[in-house]
Amino acid sequence: MIERTATLGEAQRLTVINSFFNQHIAFREDLEVWGQADYWASPLESLGKGRGDCEDYAIAKYFSLIAAGAPAERLRLVYVRARLGGQSVAHMVLAYYALPEAEPLILDNLVPEVRPASQRPDLQPVFSFNADGLWRGVGAASAGGDPLARLSQWRDVIAKARAEGF
Amino acid sequence: MSLMRQVWLLVLGAVLASLLGSVAVSAHSVRQLLQTQLQLKNSDNAQALALALSQQHGDRALMSLLISAQFDTGAYQSVIWRQADGHVAFERHVDPKVSVAPTWFVALLPVQVPAGAAQVSDGWTALGSVEVRSQASYVHDELWHSTLRSTALLAGIGMAAGMLALAVLRRLRRPVDDAVAQAHAVVEGHFETVQESSVPELRPLTVAMNAMVLRVKSMFEAQAEQLHVLRVQAHFDVLTGLSDRKHFLAELSSALARDEGPLSAGLVLVRLRDLAGLNQRMGRPTVDQILVAMSHALKAYPERVPHCLAGRLNGADFALWLPAAQVAEETAHALAEALRVSLPAFGGGIQVALGAVEMARAQPLSVWFGAADAALARAEAQTGYVVEAVASPDGVSMPQGERVWRAQILDAIQQGRNRLLEFPVLGRQGQVLHWECPLQLQLDAQAEFAPATRWLPLALRSRLTAEVDAQAVALALEASEGDARMRCVNIASASLLDGGFVARLRELALRAPQAARRLGLELPESAASAHFELVQELGRQLRPLGVQLGIEHAGPGLAQIERLYQLGLDYVKLDAAVAVGVAGDASRAAFVRGMVIMLRSLALRVYAEGISEASDAQALWACELDGITGPWATGALIAK
Repeated sequence: MIERTATLGEAQRLTVINSFFNQHIAFREDLEVWGQADYWASPLESLGKGRGDCEDYAIAKYFSLIAAGAPAERLRLVYVRARLGGQSVAHMVLAYYALPEAEPLILDNLVPEVRPASQRPDLQPVFSFNADGLWRGVGAASAGGDPLARLSQWRDVIAKARAEGF
Repeated sequence: MSLMRQVWLLVLGAVLASLLGSVAVSAHSVRQLLQTQLQLKNSDNAQALALALSQQHGDRALMSLLISAQFDTGAYQSVIWRQADGHVAFERHVDPKVSVAPTWFVALLPVQVPAGAAQVSDGWTALGSVEVRSQASYVHDELWHSTLRSTALLAGIGMAAGMLALAVLRRLRRPVDDAVAQAHAVVEGHFETVQESSVPELRPLTVAMNAMVLRVKSMFEAQAEQLHVLRVQAHFDVLTGLSDRKHFLAELSSALARDEGPLSAGLVLVRLRDLAGLNQRMGRPTVDQILVAMSHALKAYPERVPHCLAGRLNGADFALWLPAAQVAEETAHALAEALRVSLPAFGGGIQVALGAVEMARAQPLSVWFGAADAALARAEAQTGYVVEAVASPDGVSMPQGERVWRAQILDAIQQGRNRLLEFPVLGRQGQVLHWECPLQLQLDAQAEFAPATRWLPLALRSRLTAEVDAQAVALALEASEGDARMRCVNIASASLLDGGFVARLRELALRAPQAARRLGLELPESAASAHFELVQELGRQLRPLGVQLGIEHAGPGLAQIERLYQLGLDYVKLDAAVAVGVAGDASRAAFVRGMVIMLRSLALRVYAEGISEASDAQALWACELDGITGPWATGALIAK
């Protein structure tokens, strides 16, 4: 799938990967899937289980896009406050910035298709991050042996994803 | 390099290596730890800052303020907010602080931590990223201090370990040194037992050495025992147990020639008259009993007085030599009285004639016997128990008092009025082994040089022997430095009693280390028996410097000295009393041979003194002696 999308245009690649994970992973809480209150799974872990929660979608899409050739600096994982049935819930989506200052495209599991941010009034962004600083910080080669790698969920998942070949 | 030094160096090397190793390892791990911490700090602070900045709705002033606030209140080197297009939106930085650690240390352990970075956004709008870089100098400060601390601590531990190792080594070293010292002592003919080592590896060694020493001791004792038997056969009259004629004459001539002794002495001849008539009248066994009774009366003297000699000259004649002045006549009377009381018990008609004579010791043997025979003849002209005495015809009494002698001897030493004579000791091939050097003093500036027989009694009484002997040693050393000959000088036993004497000799020897290796010191046999420890100490002090130690005038008494094997000697000179007359007498020769074998087993060289007959010299070579001295040796050297 990743090889296939590598040859596609940006917009199409986003759509394919977004749909792929939205279809192959069923939404479940971490507690149910992993027995932990919060667990960030790597893309293969999520696919293996076929289940995951919002950050698992975002993570899987993030690494898949990077593997398919999308520039890392255009991708950001975004903590958002989502209004779902009149309730505010903590949620995570993947944002794609075609240009640094431009309006991003949102890859989400609540709304299956890729939409620009302005068309997602239900989402209120709080904080975004990507692996840019961390990649540099962690060092490109030694995620496995790096003592920092498993200190945070994010670093942990980066390490796992790299170990899986992303 | 010595074993102990090697072990010590090994310990030192191990301690140093572990010290350096642990310091290096600890410095490295501390650096790793601090670097990790710094990196985490950079990273986490960047995330925290970015999170705070993302909540400011893109208000640049507010964001700059936040960045400034964080920068000013923390230990940062720089905080940069970079816009999404790469331009720097806001930046605060200071120069890196200089660490207190020395520059070589910083260069040796560089700390390189990348900046922490995090994304900043306002809603969906990306506002770029922040880069946070902390001050790194405190890492080096901390690293430097911790390295110093661990170095000090480990150096302390290392030093303690070194001390401990040193103490253990020293403890180990004592038994090793003991064993080595014993081995050295054995090589030098100094057989001593040591305490068994507590170190298991060394114990068999010390046990073996001790066993060997004990074996030498028992061997020595067996030989001494055997020698005693030989001596009885060789030297003593079978009936009376007194010295026989030959041995008495040899002993007497040795006593007359010896340095030590009184200026004048006495000789008493005792004759049981009409031996043939008594034999006929009383029968042989009774006469033998009379002779034994007479010998008992005579024996009482040598048993009580050292250097006193008694002997049976022939069938009816006995002789008693008294090494003291003014006692000959008195002794003869006392002896006559004792015989007068005891002999009549065997029967009537027993007559004893006694002739007493007192003379200067320097007189030759023939003069002594001439005078004594004359006195005896006069006594025989009368009947009963008769004593005839001859007063000293030449009157050798020294008119001056002790104070004068003392001054004379001291003057002779200080004013250089002294010299060493030289008599060769010849080896088997006729080569000179060493020179015997008796000291002569010119007591009076006008008088002739006097031999030791004349001044030694004075020196003994003035307690000046240590002075005189030290002078002799000094002269010998001086002469040996010039001509590289080996010289031996006599040391009186009285000198050993002088507390500073040995130290003085040691000083002399140290001052002339080359000549000291060609110096021999000779002590009379009596010194070895009377002052065993002092002689041993003399050897201990001087033999390491190459000085040789010998016993002169050695007779049968040598074998009786207990622990002779521990004395530490180099050679022994057999007294003329033992060595003279070996030629015609197989039993005397056997005794000399026995002595040689015994002394050889103690690694001693054996020489003979006072040999004048070529036949004796020949017989002595056959007894395996190492060297011969005396008139014969001097003559043989001149003839050559």
